[in-house]
Amino acid sequence: MALAQRRSQGVAYLFLGPWLLGAIGLTVAPMVVSLYLSFTDYDLFNEPRWVGVDNYAKLFGDDPRYLHSVGVTLRYVAWSVPLKLVLALAVALLLNSLRGKGQAFFRSAFYAPSLLGASVGLALAWRAIFDTWVDTPDHALVTIVLLSAWQFGAPMVIFLAGLQQIPRDLFDAAAVDGAGWWRRLWSITLPMLSPVLFFNLVLETIHAFQAFTQAFVVSGGRGGPADSTLFYTLYLYERGFTEFRMGYASAMAWVLLVAIALITAVLFRTSRYWVFYGDER
Amino acid sequence: MLCTVLAAAGCGSKSGGGQAEIRFIWWGNDDRAKVTNEAVKLFESRNPDIKVSTSFQNFQNYFEKLSTEIAGGNAPDVIQMDYRYLNEYAGRNVLLDLTPYVGKEIRTADWNQGFIGSGKLNGKQVAMPLAQNATTIVYDPKLFTAAGVPEPTIGWTWADYKQIAGKIQASTGGKIAGSTDFGGTEDVFETWLRQRGKALYQDGKLGYTKDDLKAFWQLSKDFRDAQATTPAELVTTLNAGAEQTPMGKKLSASEHSYDSLYGGYNTVRPDELKLGPYPSDSKEALGSYRKPSQLISASARTKNKDAAVKLIDFLLNDQEAGKILGANRGLPANLKIREAVAQNLSGANKVIFEYQKSVDAKLGDAPAAPPKGDGTIYKLMQRKHEEVVFGKKTIDQALDEFWRDAEEALK
Repeated sequence: MALAQRRSQGVAYLFLGPWLLGAIGLTVAPMVVSLYLSFTDYDLFNEPRWVGVDNYAKLFGDDPRYLHSVGVTLRYVAWSVPLKLVLALAVALLLNSLRGKGQAFFRSAFYAPSLLGASVGLALAWRAIFDTWVDTPDHALVTIVLLSAWQFGAPMVIFLAGLQQIPRDLFDAAAVDGAGWWRRLWSITLPMLSPVLFFNLVLETIHAFQAFTQAFVVSGGRGGPADSTLFYTLYLYERGFTEFRMGYASAMAWVLLVAIALITAVLFRTSRYWVFYGDER
Repeated sequence: MLCTVLAAAGCGSKSGGGQAEIRFIWWGNDDRAKVTNEAVKLFESRNPDIKVSTSFQNFQNYFEKLSTEIAGGNAPDVIQMDYRYLNEYAGRNVLLDLTPYVGKEIRTADWNQGFIGSGKLNGKQVAMPLAQNATTIVYDPKLFTAAGVPEPTIGWTWADYKQIAGKIQASTGGKIAGSTDFGGTEDVFETWLRQRGKALYQDGKLGYTKDDLKAFWQLSKDFRDAQATTPAELVTTLNAGAEQTPMGKKLSASEHSYDSLYGGYNTVRPDELKLGPYPSDSKEALGSYRKPSQLISASARTKNKDAAVKLIDFLLNDQEAGKILGANRGLPANLKIREAVAQNLSGANKVIFEYQKSVDAKLGDAPAAPPKGDGTIYKLMQRKHEEVVFGKKTIDQALDEFWRDAEEALK
């Protein structure tokens, strides 16, 4: 028994091996190194020099541009995530009411922009379309929010799958009781869909905090005009790779990681009040 | 860090014997790529035991890519270097000290000896200047004629420029700006400072006062107030290639630039543009100087020093390579080659040579290479000026912030 168990564990580790190697070599090890670097002054070329918590102190005490980038990023998250989710849900509802071949076609069509994803070409096209908008500080962020919202395909497909899981008889029963479309949406669809909604919300929030490519391309890599699109990641990149302050950039990366973890934890805490898993009383 | 180790191990396994492979990178555009690759091909045919792989970027992305590659232990062997970044890299010991090769493997007999010094830092030859350029005003003569204003000549002042640019802008009904807004460009500021006997840097510190920069930003504002320069939305397009600037897009009648960029302008607006001197309020000083338009360095970690040095010497001193490269990077540093190229001028090369000839007597010698942190200050100036142009900050606010961040960058 014990031997058989050990053997099956061995097999499990064997199968895990390739993933484990990758995770340790490409994720865990670099993360540990970057944690160390965040306490150093490191210019990419010479040996890192230990400076204690200086980098972290400077972030919050003596770098207005850093705080500005936090503001830009929060604004971006606050606009792009709800907009994208509402769009995704609306289109999913629409597609769900279509039956047959039409649904497959439109599902692919609406998903297409997301396939292009974080592609540089797409961001360049966006830049060309919104030529003067991206060159004025008051509108530049809006264009990037729109670009992100337009790529609602991934959450949309997940919503659609969730919608198709909702038992038809719930709707039929409600219809018999005289519930209208809004009533059914509010009292059946949304509660039944809430685990999917929660999943999408968490995923999209994490993605939005890490947005980089669109802002980089649309602003020509500078977060401009006048720092209006200076995303957190963009500033991190600038500090690390164009100003050679890799220790500082590492500290920024760790603050971002902790912030995302905290926000995700808060979302999970609130989920008990609005997410309905169907198996609870 | 693990990646660094792996990459280093990978690189280390290849050394000595048989073919040497080196990598050469530069910034520029397609017309530069064409002549550079042609020259490299010639080098390979002359040295069958050396294989050269090349790649290029536009200026904006070049140094980001370079720093990442060097940090990743994957430094190119031969590196086109910018004056502005020389300290940034050499100060971090990533460039090979070429001193032992100068005058031997790298021939310098036919050089202006003073010009060689522009690649020296703390007594070490960390780079060789590839070519010489100077600041210039590139302009569209047709628009000047149509507005009935004189073309730029030595002796014109900033007040003249403002008036002329205003007239041109009015004559096009505001469709084409009289000038491209120069207030955020450190190169223009430097030229303007030099006209006043000052410099960007003095002993590693800022060589000017807050009032200097304030006066310069005010000058740029005067141009905007007089409807003589580009609107705010175009300010952000300035750090792209020549074809992306207001001049390249036919939205401006005159633009501050370097003569070595004329090739880029000429590909998008063939034979339409001319080069003229900067305006100056000083009779003696034009502000422009014999700047190394680009320099060339070898990586301190190259495994093929000899091959790298050979390629550097070839690009600098080979007659045929000189013919192929022409004035694409500015006036060749080797004076014999410069003369040979001057014998047979056409197109963009001719315009560049004639411009430098016309201002030669007024050109000063290059100042010491800017200190570490100048790359950051360059962008900072652009950003703070942008905030002024878009009305986000007053000149004084932007000035205070600029000062604080600039001093921080120089620490």
